Amino acid sequence: MKKILNDPASYVDEMLDGLVAAHPEVYARPMPRVIARAGGATPGKVGIVTGGGSGHLPVFTGYVGKGLLDASAIGNVFASPSAEQMADSMRLAHGGAGVLRLYGNYGGDVMNFDMAGETVELEDDIRSTTVLLADDVASAPPAEAAKRRGVAGMVYAFKIAGARAEEMADLDAVTATAQKAADACRSIGMALTPCTVPQAGKPTFEIGEDEMEMGMGIHGEPGIWRDKLRPADAITDEMLDRLLADMPLKKGDRASILVNSLGATPPEELYIMYRRARARLADLGVEIVMPLVGRYATSMEMTGATVTLCKLDSELERLLKAPCHCAFWTVG
Amino acid sequence: MTGITTASLQAAAPRLAAAAKAAEGELNTLDGQLGDGDLGITVATGWQEVAGEAATMPDDVGMAFLAAAKAFQRVSSSSYGTLTATALMAAAKRTKGRTEVPWSEAPGLVAAARDAMMERGKGALGDKSVLDILDAVAKAIEGMDEPAAMLAAATAATDATLAGFRDRPNRLGRARMFAEKSVGMDDPGMRAFQRLLAGLAAT
Repeated sequence: MKKILNDPASYVDEMLDGLVAAHPEVYARPMPRVIARAGGATPGKVGIVTGGGSGHLPVFTGYVGKGLLDASAIGNVFASPSAEQMADSMRLAHGGAGVLRLYGNYGGDVMNFDMAGETVELEDDIRSTTVLLADDVASAPPAEAAKRRGVAGMVYAFKIAGARAEEMADLDAVTATAQKAADACRSIGMALTPCTVPQAGKPTFEIGEDEMEMGMGIHGEPGIWRDKLRPADAITDEMLDRLLADMPLKKGDRASILVNSLGATPPEELYIMYRRARARLADLGVEIVMPLVGRYATSMEMTGATVTLCKLDSELERLLKAPCHCAFWTVG
Repeated sequence: MTGITTASLQAAAPRLAAAAKAAEGELNTLDGQLGDGDLGITVATGWQEVAGEAATMPDDVGMAFLAAAKAFQRVSSSSYGTLTATALMAAAKRTKGRTEVPWSEAPGLVAAARDAMMERGKGALGDKSVLDILDAVAKAIEGMDEPAAMLAAATAATDATLAGFRDRPNRLGRARMFAEKSVGMDDPGMRAFQRLLAGLAAT
């Protein structure tokens, strides 16, 4: 293992120390494994919490900020936070108008967040709702779409739901908009090299020097096929074809696209992919709105990329373009 | 006669912890034949933590159940721990705001625990899991309101369910990967329930 760290056991806590020290105007750390907005919960506003394993920055914790999320519970690398940490995050996000739990569809996270919701309802009379992100088309066929994992599409859901909550909409309205945003996103990933979980000390999978894997999950979950590395345009074409097969777009549709690095893939290569994706969507007559190219949802030092399409209606577009600010992303 | 109070839970917790500790090795061995062999540790640590929490449990029976759920979950975030906590939380929901709950509500609490665990763990009756025992127990004590008689009926239902499922394959959780091998064996989670219940019944 070749990583810049002191002790694998303190990897997450030292990362959080640094994150808050670098951006005290954005983040506060009221508890060891909860990051909240520096100013705390906003009275009267619906709180939005997320949570999950570490190792994906800016996801999850990075997206706490104005116009985005209110708090995040943080687990060890690729491991769920505890139900108690999630319950704490919900209490800290609660401004009196209830809390939306918005996070990726992973078994451990779902169980623990459900427990946390029951706990704060019993102990604190906090009403809460859930929207699960399940945008990875490679993780299950359309007939079993509810089993899909959540990947980079959650960035759109955070942004859009966060903007709706900032408008002081009530819990049901924020939940409905978050669900609409989640339903509008489709993602797919591909990987060239694995990453290493600090406490495990060895790579999450093995792959040949000249190979790529299409459809791989953000924790190295097996994908659709593995073969020799292909040219950027061929890779991008296949990713778009798979997304469009699942969510067809036609002339006149408006969509945002996120070309995301899983960590080690540089912006140069993302722009090569974006160039092709833009041309493909232009051929279809799809209008691209606010394209995002960069590192938005990662798997530490994994090499690879994900592509997400978010189909927009007027409400989703308005909310996507609304102002937001966190250490990793500012709009407006 | 009194119903279920926080004092009942405070009395039960150390007995459950002792029963779990006594069964730890047996459950680890049984679980080791179908998986990673840590069920005994999980059950023992969880109930030990609940017992440690007992003295400070609030008078509100629901909040006492909740305290037990949180304690169990805190030391055991495995799916078994989460499901045990889920069962306790289901009881908490139905008893919140009361300092005494009639024993006649016990069958409803068991049924609520069964349903909540089924929902959260995506299990079904007939899968050969503790759900089958909870279902049998809820039915066996239906209409009763005397704790000693309920305990006897629950014990008989538990033993009968274990025996009835012994020669069937596991169809839930990790054990389903060993469906063939599990024929003729008790399900580790079902055995754990039997041992815990025996701990409550012991005089």
